Amino acid sequence: MQPKTNTHLLSYKHKIAIGIFILILFSSTLLLAQSKYTVSGTVKQKSSGETLIGVAVGVVEKPTIGVTTNEYGFYSLSLPKGNYTLRFSYIGYEQQSIPVELNSNVTVNVNLADGVSLEEVVVSSKKEDENLTNATMGTEVLNMKTATKIPVVFGEKDLVKTIQLMPGVKSNGEGSNGFSVRGGGTDQNLILLDEAPVYNASHLLGMFSTFNSDAIKDATIIKGNSPAQFGGRLSSVLDVKMKEGNNKNYQVSGGIGLISSRLTVEGPIQKEKSSFIISGRRTYADLFARLSSDLKDVKLYFYDLNAKANLAINDKNKLYFSGYFGKDVLGVSKTFGSDWGNSTATLRWNSVLSSKLFSNTSLIYSNYDFNVGFKSENSEINFNSHIKDLNLKQDFTFYPNADNTIRFGFNVIHHTITPTKAEGSDIVSNKKGRIGLENAVYASNSWKVSDKINVDYGLRLSFYNVMGGDTYHIYEKNQLTQSIELEQGKVGKTYFNLEPRLAANYRLTPSASVKVGYARNTQNLHLMSNATGGSPTDQWIGNSYNIKPEVADQVSLGLSKNFNNNAIELNTEVYYKSMQHQIDYRDGVDINTVPDIESELLFGKGRAYGIEILLKKKTGTLTGWIGYTLSKTERQIEGINNGQWYNAKQDRTHDLSIVGIYTLSPRWTLSGTFIYSTGNAVTFPTGKYMLNDMLIYQYGSRNADRMPATHRLDIGATYEKPSRGKYQSSWSFGLYNAYGRKNPFALTFKENKSNPEKIDAVQTSLFQWVPSVTYNFKF
Amino acid sequence: MKNSISLLLVVLLFSSCEKIVTLDYKENQSRIIIDGSITNETGPYFVKITKSLKLTETGTYPTIDNATVTISDDAGNRETLIPRGGGLYQTAQLKGTAGRTYTLTVQAEDQTYTAQSTMPTPVPFESIKVEAVVFTGETEYNLIPVYNDPTVSGNNYRFVVSVNDKLINQHLIQNDEVKNGVVNTLRLEINDDDLKLKQGDVVNVTMQCIDKNVALFYKTLMLIGDSGPGGGTTPTNPPNNISNGALGIFSAHTVETKGVTIP
Repeated sequence: MQPKTNTHLLSYKHKIAIGIFILILFSSTLLLAQSKYTVSGTVKQKSSGETLIGVAVGVVEKPTIGVTTNEYGFYSLSLPKGNYTLRFSYIGYEQQSIPVELNSNVTVNVNLADGVSLEEVVVSSKKEDENLTNATMGTEVLNMKTATKIPVVFGEKDLVKTIQLMPGVKSNGEGSNGFSVRGGGTDQNLILLDEAPVYNASHLLGMFSTFNSDAIKDATIIKGNSPAQFGGRLSSVLDVKMKEGNNKNYQVSGGIGLISSRLTVEGPIQKEKSSFIISGRRTYADLFARLSSDLKDVKLYFYDLNAKANLAINDKNKLYFSGYFGKDVLGVSKTFGSDWGNSTATLRWNSVLSSKLFSNTSLIYSNYDFNVGFKSENSEINFNSHIKDLNLKQDFTFYPNADNTIRFGFNVIHHTITPTKAEGSDIVSNKKGRIGLENAVYASNSWKVSDKINVDYGLRLSFYNVMGGDTYHIYEKNQLTQSIELEQGKVGKTYFNLEPRLAANYRLTPSASVKVGYARNTQNLHLMSNATGGSPTDQWIGNSYNIKPEVADQVSLGLSKNFNNNAIELNTEVYYKSMQHQIDYRDGVDINTVPDIESELLFGKGRAYGIEILLKKKTGTLTGWIGYTLSKTERQIEGINNGQWYNAKQDRTHDLSIVGIYTLSPRWTLSGTFIYSTGNAVTFPTGKYMLNDMLIYQYGSRNADRMPATHRLDIGATYEKPSRGKYQSSWSFGLYNAYGRKNPFALTFKENKSNPEKIDAVQTSLFQWVPSVTYNFKF
Repeated sequence: MKNSISLLLVVLLFSSCEKIVTLDYKENQSRIIIDGSITNETGPYFVKITKSLKLTETGTYPTIDNATVTISDDAGNRETLIPRGGGLYQTAQLKGTAGRTYTLTVQAEDQTYTAQSTMPTPVPFESIKVEAVVFTGETEYNLIPVYNDPTVSGNNYRFVVSVNDKLINQHLIQNDEVKNGVVNTLRLEINDDDLKLKQGDVVNVTMQCIDKNVALFYKTLMLIGDSGPGGGTTPTNPPNNISNGALGIFSAHTVETKGVTIP
């Protein structure tokens, strides 16, 4: 018998799956082809020229037909020859109807005027009943207008904090910007800023997110059921898009707050054709601190800068450049200093290749680095780590007919990952940066099967190459068995994964829909963390000979019902997610100093399930939502908890958030949020003993205990001053934790001072009654 | 590292508040605790056998006084320890020698527990250096144990600190993972929440050269104690060198003590 050669790139099973998928893709689209013409164009905001994403484009004569604009405001609709009226609608904007005589391919560009009801809009569902007609599952879109009305700590408006008020998305704890989606880890969220991955989305150790609300247009969170163009993380995609800038007039806006200020300048480069925006932010808490002589040596601040420009080459081609740079600095005189930050840059080329084919090519750079140094009289030691990406994305959107929208493309990311390594005199560490190539090809179709049924299906083939330039060690049960010195440029090992994605919607009645979804996601980069809430010292590691891609399979079932003419939306979803190749490390390991972290890793699996209920009121003087999640998430890892299932840290049984925004008068808006959540799963000591005259605690099962529950009410008010000419201004007032609840931040166990035989549990709380005031202006 | 950063932030920005809370504790399984050591100083050496208490219990720890305790080494010496009461067992002739591997066997409550530990070659403890640092207006004192780490890698050190004759209940471990074969310049990472050194304090530091397994035991305790606000390392019973589920540690180590008065 011939020995089996291992030259096939893909297994037989993979090939069959891809073949079947292509067959379905073609049968659902091309069989329906007939003589038709195409109307296409771009939809923009009238006042600023910003493109509008997700505008519903309907045909009055054929009420069942419709499309929505893509990320660049582009739409395309193919119809049989005839006369039609196109209706463009977007919540918060005035609806516009345009007659079209379709006897050839035509371009219809539209400018939508801001509607009067804009201030009342809470969650921008794009079309009034989009939740009923769309197959998309587990997805929430948030516009910045919502986020700016919601009270937050220190009055610093924050997108990520607002996202955390959605069901299924849980904050990692007070003051933390890390979040967990449907039981996943903090590192299992793909956070994109204009397509560039942001590896650490928080400032000041999680008190603020890296997203300056003035520079952000909108954000979408997809809780696991993402379309095939997204991949690389198990739990969610947070897709954040920056504003493009006003292409009609120059505009300056900003805000002055208690601990930070912001300034944004935007305007046309070529009037109505191209524009720029530049926005900066810096905190100045440390400037006050330095006034006190005790703290004069302390450095503690962050700043960030967003910039974006776009250039219309001609009617069919447009270039976008966007960049972000942010840094946190923390230090005490010369003895201790650290800084960390992200920088990203994205160059995009939009091209309308034909009225039915839209192309976007992106070149993306992303970098995160962390440095910390300790200095004393006679020694100096520095630790640093970084991750750097170069990324090429090609995405096509093809509109074969009014019932199908096909997307396909590929993505190649070149990662350079340097784990935390020490530098200084006499350092022995020889850790090197490792290179990995993360690649994917994908295709998906959004198919309108009938008036009642919509199906989104897609397939993503991802493959990761472990690249040479370092020595890889192979461990079995944490014992070194083999070392592979891999030359620069050589491919060491390749992992293939086929990721099917499916979501389907069936309209039960005019006001109710049922949905089902299944998605497989894989993850090739993994975060090693010795903290719960995301710390700048966390470090990424790519797949290797020991570390396999993480895999998650999620099935979900949803029911949506609208009331009061779509003014009130009720969305519920249940999900079950199973995760493979989950990673943890052994007890007693310091991930910053261990010579090879791979020798200490443990692998296992996870499962998460729950129900999410979201009730939204979208119009009227009182808007807002109630979100509730009942869920469970567990892990089973050989070598932890005797191999038994245990609660993941982020497991929280109940999670409730209530958000209300009340428009009192054209000038005054009041807002409030209330949250309640079960405490995190933690491990309390159960017993105690003495060893060498030192008290030591005994522990039982891992994460079998609970922190006390967290609940809090935040209130806010915004006053818009009557505008004087072009100058508009407003005051925002906020009170965080209005009833002064002492929420648990940490628990420590100590011997009682007067009776050392007694052990006290001491709870540390932060943030009781934090008032804030911010002045915002625009001219 | 993370600990100091977040602590600093908390101190600077917020007036955090602390309170004692009442919690529900899970049932505790009372386990046997074996605490044994052999050093390079002259004997006798002791093994102490006790049992753990529930966290909420007060009073003395139960002791086991009817166990059979033996220690042998790889040079053919073997000795059964003499019970002294109060859970203590004592050697008579055994002489701790660097480089030898010691095996402890305990038979208690119908169970047999064994442990092994190798006494490393002693590394001379030269002195304690006191470094004064002005940190947010206050002078803090860092203790730097001065010793010359040998060029061979894999050395582990444990430090036991007492201030004015009071033992500091903290686990202080250093190793040569980051810097090898040089004179140590790293301070002892003492959590100063409970301990503020001031001028005139008399500090005694005992340096122990310990083997890998003993180091892992104490390092795990150190990381648990270091988790700080936000709760980093999930606490567990640290991995030890004793079989059959007993808690505690058996450590063959060298000792050398130095004293210093904070100037």
